Amino acid sequence: MSGIQSTYVQIRHIAVMLREQQAAPEPPTTKSERLDMTQQRRSRIVRTGILAATTAGALILAGCSGSTGGGSTDTQKDTNEFSLAFGISNDVTTGYQLLAEQYMEENPDVTITINALPGETYAQTIRTQLQSGNASDVFVSSPGTGQAFSVVTLAEAGLVEPLGDTATSLIPSGSEAQFIVDGKTYGQALDIAFVGNVFNTTPGIEYPADFTGILDTCKSVAADGKSLFVVAGSVGANAGIMAQTIAATRVYAETPDWDAQRVAGEVTFADTQGWKDTLEAIVDMYDAGCFQAGVEGAGFDAITNGLTQGTSISMFGPSGTATEINKAADGHANFVVEAFPAAKTSDKQFAIASSTYAYSIAANSKNKVAAQKFLDWMAEPEQSKSFADDQGTLPVSGLDELDLTGTVYEPVEDVLKSGDYLPIPNSSWPNAAVYDALGAGVQGLFTGQKTVDQVLADMDAAWG
Amino acid sequence: MTITTPQSETELVVLPGRGKGRRRTTDAAPRRSGLLQFGHWWWALPGILLVLAIHYVATAAGGVFAFTNWSGIGAFDWIGVDNFVKIFQDPSKLLALWNTLFLAFGSVILVNVIGLAIALGLNRGLKTRYALRVLFFMPVVLSPLAVSYIWKFIFDFNGPLNTFLRAIGLDSLTKAWTGDPTFAIWTILIVIVWQQTGFAMVIYMAGLAGVPVEIEEAAAIDGANLMQRFWHVTLPAIRPAVAIATTLGLVNGLRIFDQIMALTGTGPAGATATLATEVYKQAFTLGNFGYGAALALVLTAIILVFAVIQQRVTRSNPED
Repeated sequence: MSGIQSTYVQIRHIAVMLREQQAAPEPPTTKSERLDMTQQRRSRIVRTGILAATTAGALILAGCSGSTGGGSTDTQKDTNEFSLAFGISNDVTTGYQLLAEQYMEENPDVTITINALPGETYAQTIRTQLQSGNASDVFVSSPGTGQAFSVVTLAEAGLVEPLGDTATSLIPSGSEAQFIVDGKTYGQALDIAFVGNVFNTTPGIEYPADFTGILDTCKSVAADGKSLFVVAGSVGANAGIMAQTIAATRVYAETPDWDAQRVAGEVTFADTQGWKDTLEAIVDMYDAGCFQAGVEGAGFDAITNGLTQGTSISMFGPSGTATEINKAADGHANFVVEAFPAAKTSDKQFAIASSTYAYSIAANSKNKVAAQKFLDWMAEPEQSKSFADDQGTLPVSGLDELDLTGTVYEPVEDVLKSGDYLPIPNSSWPNAAVYDALGAGVQGLFTGQKTVDQVLADMDAAWG
Repeated sequence: MTITTPQSETELVVLPGRGKGRRRTTDAAPRRSGLLQFGHWWWALPGILLVLAIHYVATAAGGVFAFTNWSGIGAFDWIGVDNFVKIFQDPSKLLALWNTLFLAFGSVILVNVIGLAIALGLNRGLKTRYALRVLFFMPVVLSPLAVSYIWKFIFDFNGPLNTFLRAIGLDSLTKAWTGDPTFAIWTILIVIVWQQTGFAMVIYMAGLAGVPVEIEEAAAIDGANLMQRFWHVTLPAIRPAVAIATTLGLVNGLRIFDQIMALTGTGPAGATATLATEVYKQAFTLGNFGYGAALALVLTAIILVFAVIQQRVTRSNPED
């Protein structure tokens, strides 16, 4: 699971926590919080375990007879029905479902079979279903490579159907390589998520404008017994998101095509000063007391507890979190989205923003015409806007004209409008092991097990 | 020696020792007309074939992928023993191997020593022994994941353990226990021992129930002290229990997974990874199915080797 997805699971948590807090004026007891976390995580691991066992069997049975093919869209008739799969992390009705229901209302002759799958195991489930040829006609995919349900990975395996020009026109700038294989588009972007700091403005602390400011603010906040940032240090996905957020300013601001250069073998992590600066910034922040105590062993529950109890002011993660928390806090806290500052104010500000999810059509679908019609409808600005509003993200089209004043995105409006952003880097890394090495490496930096050079060398080794 | 012609192959299988002596053959005669006449070993064939196909062939087929670079999707190449070379050249995998053995042997030794001690203490005499047995056995029936999450909370930086240490003025000892490169592996060992001791205790109590009081009394009358009685009377009498408890403990210890995923998630920075967690990570998280299969094969080989060694060491009759 990518950092963004894991963190999305977490968003729902924070939202639930805050709702509970509102319902009862006194702060939630630690016990109930723990039980909540425990249940959620336990079921996740149990489900993953079951999936692992069943997948092992399925993989062996399926062998490598990856089913490809299916007729092209031209030869198929409009069946007026199709199935739709997406991941859910709890009982909250998501935009996927809302829009599917709206589509059925507007087109009474169309039937959509909705398959809401457990979010934690969604990627593996979809991959297994695609291989055995029984996946839903339309399903949520992840732009780029590196995950079990990544658009490019699935396209290269011949498991997804090429989409039309509408899908191509929706690809956010800079993200082409995450959707297009051999000139054909295989995923339709659904929204744009910004990844940075989700920052609580209620305590009245000003978000620092440069890295020196970060360290100074960290020290003054730490003197009050709080922390500027809360990070789930033991969760590779969250530690990795932090590193990438910082790397956006240190590496990608000057070299937006760094990943392409890395693919071509022109650069390595270890010999790139920007990556060294990124990891050294994390070490400096650790030394300055930027993170909550015990960060090296902290899980996602530390983020939930830190932000809801006000002992921490900011987290690293996707922008949807800010909207979700604000909705739940109902005026008790005001979270906004901030971009991690560059080393100096004179340096170029640069951030991460890209589509987190896309819709793809299974290659062996028998309902391609109906599915494609649905995707065309989803691409209309009205639907795009309402989906983004539901997710707390930005619509995939018409971003330039959008007025962000007064929204959680106000602090990053300039970055967004000037296009100074790139898709989340690990989505174009060749395998998940690189990101895993980064996440584990950051934890190693906290505990002193690894040096900056070792972490970067591990990442190069994982690149293969 | 009497020559007897077996009536069916079933008899050959189910009546071992035929032809060893006269008595055997006369004994066997009346049985021939019994139910065994109807049984033929090949009647079990469908069952045997199913077990072979589902259990062994499928597993072996999975093992074949250990010699490929299959990513779990699409085509793959044969790469011979490259995966195994990679495992034994990678320090992180050697650390995982070391952690596997550490947890397996650490848990076997602690669980059995403590379990035997509790079983001895609760064997006879103590009035509250029935209540105490239930208390000590209770953790065994709990889900390892549930137990691990409770312990994760105890070991948390803001958890009860550190709160207790702060309360008694030992602030300097507080740390993020599950995030500490030195102590993280010990937290896992503690949780395993806490949960599995009750299981060993039950096995030893069953064993101790079969030790005749008379022999112990006789030894006591002969002047054997408590330790001598334990070493020379009780322990030899419960050897089968020791064999079972240690075998099960070792095999389970080598496969420990839930507790690690729940407590540390193999962290900090892979310091608590074992072969079992690496198999899962490589095959299912990172999509290196071939490499994961190779790790699984190594783990299987290790379990097999240690199970055989352990069986030989603890068998009741060395001449078996």
